[in-house]
Amino acid sequence: MAVSFGGAGLILANHAVAHMSRTLCAVPRARAIHSTAVCCKHQAARIRVGKGDKPVTYEEAHPPHHIAHRKGWLSQHTSNLDRETGAAERTVEDIFIRRFIFGTFHGLLANELVIKRRGNMLVVCALFTQKIPAYKLYFLIGYTETLLSYFYKCPVKMEVQTVKDKVVYKYL
Amino acid sequence: MTSCCSVFYFRNELAVLQALSSTVQRVQWVFLFIYLAHVYIKAVYCEVMWKSHMFYYLLRFFFFFFFLNLYQDPTASHYRFQDDPYLTPRTASEFKLFSLSQESGRNAAKYIINTYPNFFLKDYAEPHIPCLMPESLQPKVTEVCEAGLRELIHLRKVRSAVDMYDRLLQAGTVVSLELTNNLLDLICFYGDQDPVQGDQAEPEKTAEGVRDDSDSLHRTWRKDNNAERIFHLMPERNERSYGALIRGMVKYGAHSKAFDLYTDMQNNRMAADVHAFNALIAAAPEVRQKYSEKWDLIAEMLKQMNKLGVRPTLLTFNTVLKSLLRCGPLSRALVLQVLGEMKALGIGECGPLSSLSLHICIQGSLSSRTACSVSGPFSFRILFHLQLLLIRAPVRCSQKMYVCCSLKDLGLAYRVHSLLNVGDNWKLLGNPSREGFYYGSLFNLVCMMENIGVVLQWYRDLVPSLFYPNSHTMRDLLQALDADNRLDLIPEIWKDVKQLGLATVSGDLAEEVLALMARDEHSPEVRKTLWSLTTQYTVPSYNRVLCDEKLLALCNMATILLAAGRTDQAWEILQLFKANNRVPSEKLLDEFLNSAKSGSNSEQAVTLVQMSSSFSLPATARLAQRVEQEFDLSEEQKKALQDVEATSDSDKD
Repeated sequence: MAVSFGGAGLILANHAVAHMSRTLCAVPRARAIHSTAVCCKHQAARIRVGKGDKPVTYEEAHPPHHIAHRKGWLSQHTSNLDRETGAAERTVEDIFIRRFIFGTFHGLLANELVIKRRGNMLVVCALFTQKIPAYKLYFLIGYTETLLSYFYKCPVKMEVQTVKDKVVYKYL
Repeated sequence: MTSCCSVFYFRNELAVLQALSSTVQRVQWVFLFIYLAHVYIKAVYCEVMWKSHMFYYLLRFFFFFFFLNLYQDPTASHYRFQDDPYLTPRTASEFKLFSLSQESGRNAAKYIINTYPNFFLKDYAEPHIPCLMPESLQPKVTEVCEAGLRELIHLRKVRSAVDMYDRLLQAGTVVSLELTNNLLDLICFYGDQDPVQGDQAEPEKTAEGVRDDSDSLHRTWRKDNNAERIFHLMPERNERSYGALIRGMVKYGAHSKAFDLYTDMQNNRMAADVHAFNALIAAAPEVRQKYSEKWDLIAEMLKQMNKLGVRPTLLTFNTVLKSLLRCGPLSRALVLQVLGEMKALGIGECGPLSSLSLHICIQGSLSSRTACSVSGPFSFRILFHLQLLLIRAPVRCSQKMYVCCSLKDLGLAYRVHSLLNVGDNWKLLGNPSREGFYYGSLFNLVCMMENIGVVLQWYRDLVPSLFYPNSHTMRDLLQALDADNRLDLIPEIWKDVKQLGLATVSGDLAEEVLALMARDEHSPEVRKTLWSLTTQYTVPSYNRVLCDEKLLALCNMATILLAAGRTDQAWEILQLFKANNRVPSEKLLDEFLNSAKSGSNSEQAVTLVQMSSSFSLPATARLAQRVEQEFDLSEEQKKALQDVEATSDSDKD
């Protein structure tokens, strides 16, 4: 809302003053202050364009307003439907699971996790790079599934895909 | 997830289904419609109109199979692995490695959960799920009392329980009979030692239905046993105490003591229960020497059971048959009798466990040297009986298949394989090595007996989803291909061999393939593919392996390369002969000469003759003559040839 103290008031005053100035001497003019409400730049989940040497995946390259247009959802559950409860708890669980897997599979995640809830079951879909031999990956998968099952008291399954290196979408 | 469960529930129908799979398309919509109509009507009328369970079952089955197409997928690996090319095991050893590492990951997680249970106590689950709570293995009750003893028994801590019992007795409290019986059961079951804890046990937890209790085999019933001591200390003993002690003794090898205790029991006019009788029947062959006496003792036990009115169960007959194994050759006739008894008592139909009669007959036929052919129809009769009784035979599938192999009976093998889909029989496949043995024998039989189309169909169905072949099996497959003149399929088979990791080990398979390839004349396309095979694999590796060069393989390789028209590589192989002190055969040299002729390369021909003279082959003279006749030689070449001839003549002299 731009409120200009100068502008129209000055014109009116001018008319009044013009009226008066014919009779009196000139009124000193004042500078106007324009101000708006604070409008910060959007910076959520955006990577700013840089020199062109930073590799960026598809997920990272697209800002959030592209969700449902060019991106899908990373966490799929029904708590956000009408008259459904538990959205906050699901979100907290998701955050924990993401951090847990980021730490357990250290350096192996090629992209964000996708967490799906089907009935009672938690399905964690992960994309890993092939940096460690397959049997070590299986050890970690068995460990994660069991630990998370016991932690959340529901069956947790991992659906894993591997990729040679992180898939680069563009360089920013 | 659901599909896997359904596959197990509906394995009965798989065999039928795969035959019908071609007719699926049109039919499935009809059945889907019928199923949906059924569900709708059931919902509307709220009472089951078609009360027949069979009908509903049939509908569900058709729905799952025709509409959802829930078959065994022959291109996928086992469902416990992730569906990714990097994470799919290619060989049997990789299969084992991956499953074991996954299992050890689970054990590591369980260890952490049980060591820090306070993080896992918050209960999100609405109906409480006890199996997802951390286990508490430490007893909570610490003072000396009966509740403490009860808890220790529940936690299976044998020594602490005995300790607690002694302390209770010393303190003067009278421990109730039931509790003492429980304690006796515990001690006798675990043989007076603590059971092996979870992290020390074998990590392999695949579905093994019939697994030997390996730790019990290492323990024997000691003389100064806690169980006996407590037994004698008991003020009053009932049948349960005697029963527990008898079963423990039999389990840990003190058979004659068990029989002594049994006579004790009879003197006290107590009637043993069916479990004690089972144990005694199992122990019977150990306490007598002659076969007839053994059988007499078993029969005696059965008669006493009858007299006391104790009804024999499936387990009883199991043990009878197991004991009959030790009774030698007269067991065969008795097996049929026993089966008849079972049928008369109507036992087979409802029992969740099953009989071991096939086990008997197989063991019998394996151990007996004579009349393998006799046991063929015999086993068929047994199988027939079994199917009649709807008994699911829990014999080790691998052994069954091995017998079918040795009997060369394909029909029986197919029937055994179809039995695999009945009920719980999939557990009988045992651990993966046994499963591999089973499928190996099955495939071996199929290769021997069936034509190539069927063999390839089986190959595609079994490998690699169910079965990782070893080099024997691949050799059988190659022989089958050879027999049916389908050697053009060798490139694909060789690709599989390489993927299975069988191509480098000992090289037998490679030699076989080379021999097959070199033997016949093939069409040009096949030759090209064969050439690509050899050069991809064999040449570099044979260059590396210096000591193991097999002569025949080299000859074959050279022949193949010549046939494929790659003369340069063929000449390289010839150099290899020299380098490794191997002598090429005359036929090979003739072929080289032919190729040199077709290439009109007289230089090569002369070098060939020189080479053969250096090997001091008797055919040198003949070769030299041939070269002189067939090639236009320059002066030097002619001179060289004559030198060679001279040396060869002098060698002969």
